[in-house]
Amino acid sequence: MPKLVIDNREVEVAAGATILDAARKLGIGIPTLCHLDGCTPSTSCMVCVVKLKNLGRVVPSCGTRAEDGMQIESETDEIRDARRAALELLLSDHPGDCLGPCQLVCPAHMDIPRMLRQIAAGHPADAAATARDALVLPATLGRICPAPCEKGCRRAQHDVGLAIRLCHRHVADAELASGVRLPTCKPATGKRVALIGAGPAGLAAAWHLLGEGHACTVFDAHPEPGGMLRYSIPAETLPRDVLDAEIAAIARLGAEFRMGMRIGRDIHLADLQKEFDAVLVASGAPKDGHAATISPEPSPPPIEVDRRTWQTSVRGLFAGGEVVHKHRMAVRAVADGAAAARSVSLYLAGLPITEPQRPFSTRLYMTTHEEMARLVAGASAAMRIDPTGGEAAGFTPDEARREAPRCLHCDCRKADVCRLRQVSAALGASPSRYHGTRRPFEQDLRHARIVYEPGKCIVCGLCLQVAERAGEPLGLALLGRGFNVRVGAPLADSMADGLRISAAECVRACPTGALAFKDE
Amino acid sequence: MAELDLTFVDRVVAEMGRRPEATIPILQALQDHYRYLPAEALRRVCDITEITPARIAGVSTFYNQFRHRPMGRHLISICHGTACHVKGSRPVHDALLRHLKITEHEDTDADGVFTVQKVACLGCCTLAPVLQIDGITYGHLTIDRLPRVLEDFLQLSATGAAAAQRERPTGSREGWGEIRIGMGSCCVARGSGGVQEALERAVERLGVRAIVKRVGCVGMCHQTPLVEVLAPGRSAAMYAQVQAEDAEAIVRRHFPAAGLGRRLRGAIERSLDVILTDEAWEPVTRYTIEVRDPPVAAFLGRQQHLATEYCGHIDPIDLDEYLAHGGFQMLEECLRKRSPAEIIETVRASGLRGRGGAGYLTGRKWEQVRAAAGSPKYIICNGDEGDPGAFMDRMILESYPYRVIEGMAIAAHAVGAEEGVFYIRAEYPLAVRRVGEALRLCKERGVIGDNLFGTGRRLNLRIMQGAGAFVCGEETALLASIEGRRGMPRLRPPYPAVEGLWAKPTLVNNVETYALVPWILRSGAAAFAAMGTGTSKGTKVFALAGKIARGGLIEVPMGVTLREIVEEIGGGIAGGKRFKAVQVGGPSGGCVPAELADTPVDYEALTAAGAIMGSGGLVVLDESDCMVDVARYFLEFTQDQSCGKCTPCRIGTRRMLDILERLVAGDGRKGDLEELEHLARFIQKASLCGLGKTAPNPVLSTLRYFRSEYEAHLEKRCPAGRCKQLVKYTISDECIGCTLCAQHCPSDAIPMTPYEKHVIDQDKCIRCDTCKQVCPVHAVCTA
Repeated sequence: MPKLVIDNREVEVAAGATILDAARKLGIGIPTLCHLDGCTPSTSCMVCVVKLKNLGRVVPSCGTRAEDGMQIESETDEIRDARRAALELLLSDHPGDCLGPCQLVCPAHMDIPRMLRQIAAGHPADAAATARDALVLPATLGRICPAPCEKGCRRAQHDVGLAIRLCHRHVADAELASGVRLPTCKPATGKRVALIGAGPAGLAAAWHLLGEGHACTVFDAHPEPGGMLRYSIPAETLPRDVLDAEIAAIARLGAEFRMGMRIGRDIHLADLQKEFDAVLVASGAPKDGHAATISPEPSPPPIEVDRRTWQTSVRGLFAGGEVVHKHRMAVRAVADGAAAARSVSLYLAGLPITEPQRPFSTRLYMTTHEEMARLVAGASAAMRIDPTGGEAAGFTPDEARREAPRCLHCDCRKADVCRLRQVSAALGASPSRYHGTRRPFEQDLRHARIVYEPGKCIVCGLCLQVAERAGEPLGLALLGRGFNVRVGAPLADSMADGLRISAAECVRACPTGALAFKDE
Repeated sequence: MAELDLTFVDRVVAEMGRRPEATIPILQALQDHYRYLPAEALRRVCDITEITPARIAGVSTFYNQFRHRPMGRHLISICHGTACHVKGSRPVHDALLRHLKITEHEDTDADGVFTVQKVACLGCCTLAPVLQIDGITYGHLTIDRLPRVLEDFLQLSATGAAAAQRERPTGSREGWGEIRIGMGSCCVARGSGGVQEALERAVERLGVRAIVKRVGCVGMCHQTPLVEVLAPGRSAAMYAQVQAEDAEAIVRRHFPAAGLGRRLRGAIERSLDVILTDEAWEPVTRYTIEVRDPPVAAFLGRQQHLATEYCGHIDPIDLDEYLAHGGFQMLEECLRKRSPAEIIETVRASGLRGRGGAGYLTGRKWEQVRAAAGSPKYIICNGDEGDPGAFMDRMILESYPYRVIEGMAIAAHAVGAEEGVFYIRAEYPLAVRRVGEALRLCKERGVIGDNLFGTGRRLNLRIMQGAGAFVCGEETALLASIEGRRGMPRLRPPYPAVEGLWAKPTLVNNVETYALVPWILRSGAAAFAAMGTGTSKGTKVFALAGKIARGGLIEVPMGVTLREIVEEIGGGIAGGKRFKAVQVGGPSGGCVPAELADTPVDYEALTAAGAIMGSGGLVVLDESDCMVDVARYFLEFTQDQSCGKCTPCRIGTRRMLDILERLVAGDGRKGDLEELEHLARFIQKASLCGLGKTAPNPVLSTLRYFRSEYEAHLEKRCPAGRCKQLVKYTISDECIGCTLCAQHCPSDAIPMTPYEKHVIDQDKCIRCDTCKQVCPVHAVCTA
């Protein structure tokens, strides 16, 4: 029974156990990619490295046997740097996007590819939920948003970008017609939040706070909610029934609107602070344009705002939307409201308020002609659909269903479960540290159930082991050597030949998006 | 396309067996036969053996030797070893492709005559730059000579003269003289074969009492073909750079022709010769050298021949001669009288450390294998010498196969192994043939086999040929290769001494290590330990090449300084240039600058200087060598040879190479040098095996000593004028208007202007270096 010390904590493990086993016994989390319980360690990714203090050597913990008297360091800067370096190298040869360029460009980070797949699959209600979850006001924004997503769409490099805005407008309109399906909120926390301002930021914040189980009351000096959406945008651009219906959904989710209430006149900030657990000021652009401070009451002194966390210098008081960040796009205000709501939620939960991280994503950046051809091969070849009734009328259900499959599906099917992505995000690895020679983006769609993207493979060989154990007649092999090594079916060209019985198991074993279910 | 005849596959399988470990030999046989690996043949192998498609696909795509598409009628292997690189193999390679009109992404000419492939190192470094066509080696290539080389080869192959050389002992006769000719691979490449035949014809025709004897490498590669004449009662004479036409004159000079008739005829002919071909004597006289000549004395003076004992004296595969020189006596004594513990103690006390690179104490390794539980135990000779710029092991295997066998047999006895494998690179066909023949003769005489010297002990040795993977020099990768798998290293521990071949205790030592064993046991540990430094005992064999006046194969006592090697033994830099650095240890080593040339040959001292002892390649660099380019060259090599398993080596070396390629192209960016250092440190720390851990050394050592050159590249300058994208070719006023450059320019960048100064059109210039090489008055300048 070897006894060893990891990060100054002693542990005893069974003979034959690895350092990784010992660390787990201590509850020390060592990240792994190429390791899978029950498989032979491949010791290839080098993300699980630790330092043997006595020998001064850095070794992979997954394959190194624990020995008596070992002194091991895991949580040190040196080891974290080494793990990050391994990840940054893996990311530098990982042609693919975790999230589609459209999604990264969208200020609210709407999962656009998912919405398009839902439309293409004939699930418009699910698509509407995807849109509303991020945009809160998808039908409204579907009429007024300048749609940066469409400019970011990779398909534009091939012919014309997807009509994303018309798509989300279409599904949202359809949902408004049949009644918005509300999301399930978390159990009530008993906390109450006052929101000052019923514009896009305030509305979005309310939606998200309600979702977190907090009660929300929205105060606004105007007679009706909507802020600039109602008072600056002409009704022919944004019909009021659309706006009303979307606000009504927020009210149905539980928001209480107290209109015609001007702060400093009808009600005082100090009172709100007493009555509510938190106050979020989202009252629109200040007249003097000084956005680093807010003056919720007509009389000074102004209150300072931390623009990264939406906190003010006053405990429990937050500020979001145009009052803090000047922007011209309503979708930015929505995104800002959501981010401020996140800070408020953290505060209410008694957690430290951190700056929100941009979602982690690798980027394919510029594609070659061949790569573009491969991407297009998996999508509808049709040109962009123009609504027959004109832009103002929007898509018919059929038009939306024909437009949506034009999406190239740039995003990764396993973005939510990819271990490379999770570990990289956790260790702060930069996906763009190196730009150099990389494998091409390739896609093998010939298997009935799974898609294989060799460029995303980290050559851990787990699928080889899984396939062999499952008794695959052909199985998989490592082909080639060095930087060009790849996993493939031997003496055949397609995964369909190599994985006849163990495809699903291989997808689950694969630590990245190299092997994924087609419909994921 | 005609259907492939697959009966050959069945025959090969019948011979090699159906087990997975036969994968590599089967593939080698198929490749020999079909000249590539047809998919149908591979499927057939899977159908009739236990080899799975996954195994055959994995293995056949791992090793460089195997091709999956058809090959031209002749294979040109162009060497990109270190010595060849610094002597311009790249421009030669480019010119060859241009000459054969082979486009990018192709490797075979349109007529299917020649296939061109790049090889890591042919181990003929003193002939650099070198190429090999179907086993015939051509050295000292220039762009200019390429067409003639191809013509010469086609002529040879048409006449069948390219057939294999014979491998049989020449024997000796009491009272007869000996005419010795070095027949290592390099010597053969320089025409020793023709000289040998000419000497034999002359001896036969003149009827003299002399034997033309093939001996191993003499080490003086710069003087080959080298002939040494020992006539009874006369002192030895040596002739350097001998040509076939010199043969008869040499024989006559030293031996009286036998028999009256013959003598008479000889006399008449001799007088005729003197009259008619007076000049013919010139070359011979000019090249006669003697050991007391200062250059020869300097070359040989510091050397001590242990691993290369009887260098230039004995026939490599004459077992009787080896026995007559005391060969195998030590093995017999060990088997009969010395216990394994005694043997191991002697090796331990000698201080011998592994000569393959890492320098682990040999005695300790033997002890570990001896003590390890498990049986059977195996013994391996690591002859997978893949370092570009190194050819020590090739030379030892070619010249002293019996010595290596003896060392191995003693080791086998000491550790308790009865089965063993010689793992030899396929790129060393002569070494494979000679060791094969030597093993056959040893078995015949009972020196190895089932009853060694009648003692009842067993030792069976066989040869396994590597298939072209540098990483197989790493012991765990080598073992994987012997087991018929991809040569991918695994994490150590467990070390092979405990879990080696087939998970059994296995002793893996390098060729030179085994070659030293008989001497140590015969002369005693103290004699060996008396040579060298505190921690580095005995001698070390080095391959000395590059920009050196006298390149060759040398064996020197440890502790000799690099300066003594370069300046005394090697005679300094060739061509009057300035000595800049010595690259020691190949891709795992580093560049020791001229200022530190007093560093002794010592494991620790070399490591401290940023290099490593390595296996013994010494490539000397002069002022015209760009250190950034040298670093890039090595990274390109390791990147190409990485097995692809672990992240640091697979991707990290690629990222280092990306940066170095940017630098030599003048596209370097701020922060590149720091990023190189960051990557280097990580790769050293976190790579799985020694190949990866040492891969950054060439970069780190050049960054350490030549950082200003890196900085110059950041400013788009190459101080050595070497980096193609950063230099400009111009013609100076020295130009005599001979038009040679214009005639040879492959891109029509030089208009033909006879008797006028020529001018290079910079837009058309592809910087192939041809004009500079052909200019008779050195009027082409690079800046």
